Amino acid sequence: MRHLLLRLEPLIWLLFGQGILIGTILLTGWLLVVGVLAPLGLVSEGALVFERAHRLAAHPIGRLLLLALIALPLWKGAHHLRALSIDFGGASRDPAVATLLYALALGGSALALLAVIRL
Amino acid sequence: MTRPAHPHAMQPSRPGRTRTAPPSLPDRFPFAGRYLAYTLFDLTGLLYLVVGFVVLRAVWALGSGPETWQALREQFTNPLYVAFHLLTLVAVCFVAVRFFRLFPKAQPPRIGPAKPPPGPVIHAMLYVVWLGFTLVFATILAGGLF
Repeated sequence: MRHLLLRLEPLIWLLFGQGILIGTILLTGWLLVVGVLAPLGLVSEGALVFERAHRLAAHPIGRLLLLALIALPLWKGAHHLRALSIDFGGASRDPAVATLLYALALGGSALALLAVIRL
Repeated sequence: MTRPAHPHAMQPSRPGRTRTAPPSLPDRFPFAGRYLAYTLFDLTGLLYLVVGFVVLRAVWALGSGPETWQALREQFTNPLYVAFHLLTLVAVCFVAVRFFRLFPKAQPPRIGPAKPPPGPVIHAMLYVVWLGFTLVFATILAGGLF
């Protein structure tokens, strides 16, 4: 497993890096509006009604943005938690921890692809 | 009090002639001095992982029909959800500020025949892209565009 993780390191680093850069850029607006302002009633009622939200999300650009918005933060999260686990003395358990975290990110990414396809 | 660090972190491929002390963690790790920001930066990974699945749930609800979407929007008004989203927003801003400061320093001196722009220019460009995209994206989501 350690050998496989080393072989996959460039791909994991690519997804991790894009998770920090693109994931962060995408998440800011989403969290601000969908997570905070809309629930507090500070956004017009019609902004996130189903018809409008679905029309925006089902557009090809909308699907691509949503796929990135889900998948990239998962890889950023998985890789940083793995690094944290190693820093806290978990070198011996790293193969198991890394496999679990990357499996979560991979499974979430596959579900994200399915979620944007079924819109 | 020092304690053992990751034993293979800085291990050379073959033993050198100079004897070295075994690696150990610094006294200030993990939450004192400059290690606080370092550890918090890694800890944001937990929020990113969770919020990824929360967004997945939202998109899945949107694909399931109007009733499911409306139910999810009502769940998002729960104070715990709002607090979680607010905390994650703070974490995302922290990651942006820290990473954008690091990014110019990580550039190679040359990329083929081209030289990257000076560090402050790269730094400023990242902020322009981040804040500009956030403004446009938030305006679209809030109903101001399209």
